Amino acid sequence: MTRYLLRQLSLLLVTLFLLTVLSFSLGYWFPGDALVNLSGIQTLDSALYQQVASSRGFDSNILVQYFRYLGHLLQGDWGVSLQDGTPVWNEVKARFPATMELAVLASILALLLGIPMGIISALNLGRWPDRFLMGLSLSAYSIPVFWLAQLFILVFAVNLQWFPIAGQINPLYNIEPVTGSIVLDLARADHPAKSAALLDVLRHLLLPLLVLAVMPATLLARLTRAAMHDVLRRNYIKSARAKGLTASQVIFKHAVPNTMQSVTRDLGVIFSFLITNTMITEVIFSWPGLGSWLIRSIYERDYPVMQAGLLTLAALILLVNVLLNLLHAWRYPQIRQELYANA
Amino acid sequence: MLSEGLLYCAEGNPESFNPQLVTSGTTLDMTANLLYDRLIEYSDEAKEYVPALAESWQINEDGTEYSFTLREGVEFHQTRYFTPTRPLTATDVQFSFERWLNTDHPFHLISMTGYPFFSAVGLDRLIQRIEVKDDHNFTIHLHEPDSSFIANLATDFAVILSAEYGEQLVAEDNRVALDNLPVGTGPFKFQHFRKDVSLSYRRHQGYWQGAAKSERVVFRIIPSDHKRILMLLTKDCDIVPYPPARDLDDLDARDDINLYSTVSPNTAFWAFNTQKPPFDDVRVRQALIHAIDRESIVKAVYFGHAALAQSILPNTSWAHFSDEDAYTFDPVAARELLADAGYPNGFSMNIWALPVQRAYNPNARKMAELMQSDLANIGVQVNIVSYEWSTFRRRLADGDHDSVLIGWSGDNPDPDNFFRPLLSCAAVLSGSNRARWCEPRFDRLVMSAIRTADRDERLAFYREAQELLNNQVPLMPIVHSMRYKATQPYIEGMHLEPYGGTRLLNTHKGQP
Repeated sequence: MTRYLLRQLSLLLVTLFLLTVLSFSLGYWFPGDALVNLSGIQTLDSALYQQVASSRGFDSNILVQYFRYLGHLLQGDWGVSLQDGTPVWNEVKARFPATMELAVLASILALLLGIPMGIISALNLGRWPDRFLMGLSLSAYSIPVFWLAQLFILVFAVNLQWFPIAGQINPLYNIEPVTGSIVLDLARADHPAKSAALLDVLRHLLLPLLVLAVMPATLLARLTRAAMHDVLRRNYIKSARAKGLTASQVIFKHAVPNTMQSVTRDLGVIFSFLITNTMITEVIFSWPGLGSWLIRSIYERDYPVMQAGLLTLAALILLVNVLLNLLHAWRYPQIRQELYANA
Repeated sequence: MLSEGLLYCAEGNPESFNPQLVTSGTTLDMTANLLYDRLIEYSDEAKEYVPALAESWQINEDGTEYSFTLREGVEFHQTRYFTPTRPLTATDVQFSFERWLNTDHPFHLISMTGYPFFSAVGLDRLIQRIEVKDDHNFTIHLHEPDSSFIANLATDFAVILSAEYGEQLVAEDNRVALDNLPVGTGPFKFQHFRKDVSLSYRRHQGYWQGAAKSERVVFRIIPSDHKRILMLLTKDCDIVPYPPARDLDDLDARDDINLYSTVSPNTAFWAFNTQKPPFDDVRVRQALIHAIDRESIVKAVYFGHAALAQSILPNTSWAHFSDEDAYTFDPVAARELLADAGYPNGFSMNIWALPVQRAYNPNARKMAELMQSDLANIGVQVNIVSYEWSTFRRRLADGDHDSVLIGWSGDNPDPDNFFRPLLSCAAVLSGSNRARWCEPRFDRLVMSAIRTADRDERLAFYREAQELLNNQVPLMPIVHSMRYKATQPYIEGMHLEPYGGTRLLNTHKGQP
């Protein structure tokens, strides 16, 4: 395991390094002055410009510039926005938790929906529950997330008036944004109407979470179904049945854990899809996360913000994939054996 | 908790919390009348200027000295960053005015954008000095008489700040906070702002006109007009300003939405860059104007919710003069004029279309497309140009355009507000003269009009100025539009003023 851990961590470091190289190069590839693109500082004052240039190594060669860039990045100096001059890192700090809040809760919801759906389908292969669930998942999978969001808004918010359609909470509750994640902010806030505020948060969360969870849930259902189908044909299941184990013992002790092995392997890919959809969902539901910020910065050609957004999201997806690989290898020793055999 | 607050869905982020620094209507709506007060105000009901922070004022005989007496016991906001120890005095007025007047003032250079309104109307060149007599009396000395002076004092821009807060910031070496963490005397005080999300205000208990009816006001930042209307329908917003023209009829027909409207003295116009050929030829300008079917623009872009303009000055102004013949739709005459000017086969030009929605122009791109097909009929090929808003304004001020679709909203009821900032030679230099049109005769007329206080004399000057505009056509007025706000039915005490930003002193939630 240690060898595998080290291999994964070195992979993470190398990829993160390549990512910062790419992000640094963007400063040169975007139109305009690379120093302005990287630092976000626009000034006509040549003394100030010189000061920024020397602090970022722009009086030296490109290698020095890159390492200075890395230094600034690690110190939390991610430059300032070209649009309003606010420090990019402060925004990242406030917005990343909001994005994670949506992504994590939607992942949990997707797991809770998708995996039981897949198991039920596999156990009823070819019969009506299977056909119904697979039909449902195929149609849900075919609906683009932006369209689903509009549909939900029209039905549940505009016509039925059950849910609000923008933001994390009714701002009149006056929850001070500290972490950026409304659930955490509310938990730590000392608020006179805490339960009413919590209910309001849940009403704000439900539509975006549903919209986000649909695609990963359907993907998970299909993966689980296929994996379970495969597992159920294995000899050890047959022998477990032959030994006289009850159906539920066979399923929950033997079939499901083995099914989860191949499902875990694909969770990383599903998470990447989920993050992409989170960007779109944030824009539609005015969720103050990284996605809505990144998309607006693209319209406004705010290069420091674009770099920061891309770097954060790419690093997040990378990290989640590495962690899932580690989890997979730790939980299922036979995977490690296969990897070593190949190595 | 929820019943004591208002949710106002604004169309954008405020650029600053100090109206002295900006001209954008979005920022004024969210700051000017909520955080601050002015010395005097214009009452649309009484059609005259009424006391606000100044209880009374006197003008000397030459019209060059204005002496004011301040109201006593006006309290500044107490916030987490400032605790006032004294009420409003004349030094606060002096501090607030010298901030933009005096280049040596400790806060003058803090503004990265200058003081655009004051320089456009020339107040910084008009005021000679401010003389403080005692705590509540002061005199403003002008270089020359100006009948628009009082009107300019009543605009949203002429707010009064706290000199004591200024001293504290100088001591803390944190001068930029003056515009970001505001302190004023208005009905609401600043609480917190999160860009792109919301801006919160709380009631100022000691407000001199009596405390506001709502405990809290929260502005939600929602740039999409479509989304603002959806949020009104789902009760995510209590008040929605500038509903889009396409939705007005629907909103008006609904029982569960209240739609308020007021005349808003504004003009959308099409300005030609008169320093560039062929637009320096008056016949070309006239030809282009006669080629445009303005009535179908009113139908297609404003859905009929706007009045066709016959002058740059709105039809609600006492100095308005309309000439029905100057801007008629007449393609035959247009072709003849074009041939006279030496372009029988037309030419090609660009139209710059305003990239944001404004009350006077909700969809400039669509308008430009309609005009493109009208102009094609007389052989003029049009290329529509649009940039991101800040680039657009910068390149426009540089004079890179052939023609532009833009507009102007009145800041005060004085007719001068539509002439000098838009068409004077000084405005060519400051960049707000979009036609880059400099006509000494016009300048003489509008300057004569502000040197006298007699309304009949001024009327004669303004009439002549408008006739000159109708002959020279540096720009084509398009429409004067209304200003709308939509609210939930349980919102009470809404009142829309024709001039200036939003007022919410008496607005509150009633029984749902």
